[in-house]
Amino acid sequence: MTLSDDILLSRPVESAELRRATPRWRLAGYAAMILAVLVVGLPVYWTLIAAFKESREIYSIPPSWLPLRPTFANFAAAWEAAPFGRYYLNSFITTFFGVAAEVTLAVLSAYALAFLRFPRKDLVFLLLLAALMVPVEITIVPNYLTIARLGWINSYAGIIVPGAAIAYGTFLLRQAFLVLPYEVIEAARVDGAGHMRTLLSVVIPIAQPALVTMGLLSLVAKWNDFLWPLIVTNTSDMRTLPIGIYWLRNSEGVINWGVVMAGSLFLIIPVMIVFLWVQRYIVDGIAAGAVKG
Amino acid sequence: MEQRKLSRREMLRVLMLGSGAAALAACGAAPSAEPTAAPAEPTAGSAAPAATAPAAVSQTGSTVTITYWGSFSGALGEAEQAMVQRFNESQSDVQVEYQFQGSYEETAQKFTAGLQANTIPDVILLSDVWWFGFYVAGAIAELDALAQQAGVDFADYEPVLLNEGKRRDKQFWIPFARSTPLFYYNKDIWAEAGLPDRAPETWAEFSEWAPQLVQRDGDTLTRAAFMHPNGASYIAWLFQGVTWQHGGQYSQPDFTMTMTDPNTLRAAQFYQDTANSLGWAGLSADINKDFIGGVAASMLASTGGLAGITAQAQFPVGVGFLPKETAFGCPTGGAGLAIPSGTPDEKKLAAMTYIAFATNPEQAGIWSRDTGYMPVRISTKQSPEMTAFFEANPNFKTAVDQLPLTRAQDAARVFVRNGDQIIGRGLERIVVNGEAPSAVFAEINDELTSAAEPILQDLKAVEG
Repeated sequence: MTLSDDILLSRPVESAELRRATPRWRLAGYAAMILAVLVVGLPVYWTLIAAFKESREIYSIPPSWLPLRPTFANFAAAWEAAPFGRYYLNSFITTFFGVAAEVTLAVLSAYALAFLRFPRKDLVFLLLLAALMVPVEITIVPNYLTIARLGWINSYAGIIVPGAAIAYGTFLLRQAFLVLPYEVIEAARVDGAGHMRTLLSVVIPIAQPALVTMGLLSLVAKWNDFLWPLIVTNTSDMRTLPIGIYWLRNSEGVINWGVVMAGSLFLIIPVMIVFLWVQRYIVDGIAAGAVKG
Repeated sequence: MEQRKLSRREMLRVLMLGSGAAALAACGAAPSAEPTAAPAEPTAGSAAPAATAPAAVSQTGSTVTITYWGSFSGALGEAEQAMVQRFNESQSDVQVEYQFQGSYEETAQKFTAGLQANTIPDVILLSDVWWFGFYVAGAIAELDALAQQAGVDFADYEPVLLNEGKRRDKQFWIPFARSTPLFYYNKDIWAEAGLPDRAPETWAEFSEWAPQLVQRDGDTLTRAAFMHPNGASYIAWLFQGVTWQHGGQYSQPDFTMTMTDPNTLRAAQFYQDTANSLGWAGLSADINKDFIGGVAASMLASTGGLAGITAQAQFPVGVGFLPKETAFGCPTGGAGLAIPSGTPDEKKLAAMTYIAFATNPEQAGIWSRDTGYMPVRISTKQSPEMTAFFEANPNFKTAVDQLPLTRAQDAARVFVRNGDQIIGRGLERIVVNGEAPSAVFAEINDELTSAAEPILQDLKAVEG
């Protein structure tokens, strides 16, 4: 594995060259960072303040940067407009089992692709890459028909199962497993560890940052998923949060954005909390080097 | 019951139709051929012994449960749920379950997939640009016999609205949530410019007023006298009326495209002039926002937005009939109800019972007052509740008064798949890029003609 040295995830970004960089470049760097923060942050900020604004204020031009008369009315209105308690429950269930299934399957298949020898492995990987290229929208029709024939329309299984195995997760983890220090795995083998033991006690702990990253991506994707749950469910008691927010919009005429934004915060806040809590594991993993340099 | 299944070819057709409209579902939902669907196992799990013989509905004490797919959310969704609840409480033979399926586009796509997977609702809400595709595919049922059984009096429906859902004298689509364009103006700006408190009678009159309504900062327009929507927000719907006012049209009933008709071109030239040589109009993705925010003094927009705009605007809102040119012209829009042909017979009658209820004179009035859609029944307008409502909301009266003067839209926009967007893109090129209307519309004419071909073939198969 000669490649591994080049691809190490933990490669420090700061180099001697950068440290010697002229103040002008440094300034440009900060400018770029500020720009990025603005581009990413402004819509979030807008969502946040709009949730506290009265509807008239949202529609007034020029816009105000702080709510003139902050109000919590939008939150109450949003909560009452739809059974959000039920939506939360459904979102928790489908996200939890969806992520658990996706991570488990991705870890097992990535381990096989990275460490096992079997015929036509390259072909399997190629298939995986091909699956990676297919846009989700294309698979919706066949998935719908399959789920309908299984009788899973309007059920948790119908929401979760089609998204249980995602090529992207396997691909990401396989790449991460390939750059793990092979010596450690060999050492485990020498000590008599089987595949399960190697996977659980060696590969997973070292690859923790990649695993957490993949898990987070999967979590956000499933939590925010809109189209598939909308398609596969019919009744209000099976619907998830993103559909609840959609319900707050008016199909024709003027949309009450304050309420929609308050509903959006219902969706955003849990993910933010999870992210803040989990992100240290990404850093921890990187810091906890397994091989002495 | 023999369920009608789409042939593979028909299926593809409908799917393609779907992909076009999906692109315009401004909500950013996925683009192409996605359908989706869902189910109608309406009764699943609920108390309904739905298996009873056809027409058993009224005699036995059993309850038929039917599923209704609709696109109303937000305030409209609440009004719709209230309607369903009133129906369920009013009798015990039929229970309706209202299921929200996303936008008009998403609902139609879900229906498409549902047809394939045999999971369809018993009543479905389809918009003006969607029902025809399902009619051609044979997916929605003829309603006359059912209407008779349910005691529906078609004579009391607004003829313009009702006739739109008719093919070869048979009813397939019943008007429910119908809207028309209106001329909206900002009374404060009108007063400031010293104009009479009314909408302009003609475009010529408005062209005289417009320069007094604009505000400029150097060369840039900071307040437009008038705002056009863009293609995605249905400029082709509003321009439909303007075309008629100029004596033109998009197409003839037999699908012969007339985009290059001199009068159609004259209307397009007028639209271009408003933004270019006259320079008092702009084009924006959200005209409601600009109007409410005061950066546009007037606009043409749906009656469906009247209540919301009045509530949000910090100035008195005025409305009027669309301005005339050589003639008056105003299209209808919105959505109506249909029954899938695959619905079992006993449920079809139950479905019709619900449609009859939702469009009876009393309910049509409640729906109209709750939402701002046009009352679809003639007698509704004379009811005391409606009279009182008109007094409190004179603007809404204006919208209703205009209704009998409206007409059904040209086939090019509503029957040709994606016709609305094809015309809309052409108008954007004319208004925004300033391209010559004759050249652009010649292209559009060809594009519409070829897009109409498959529909014409299918239509021949269905109607002979």
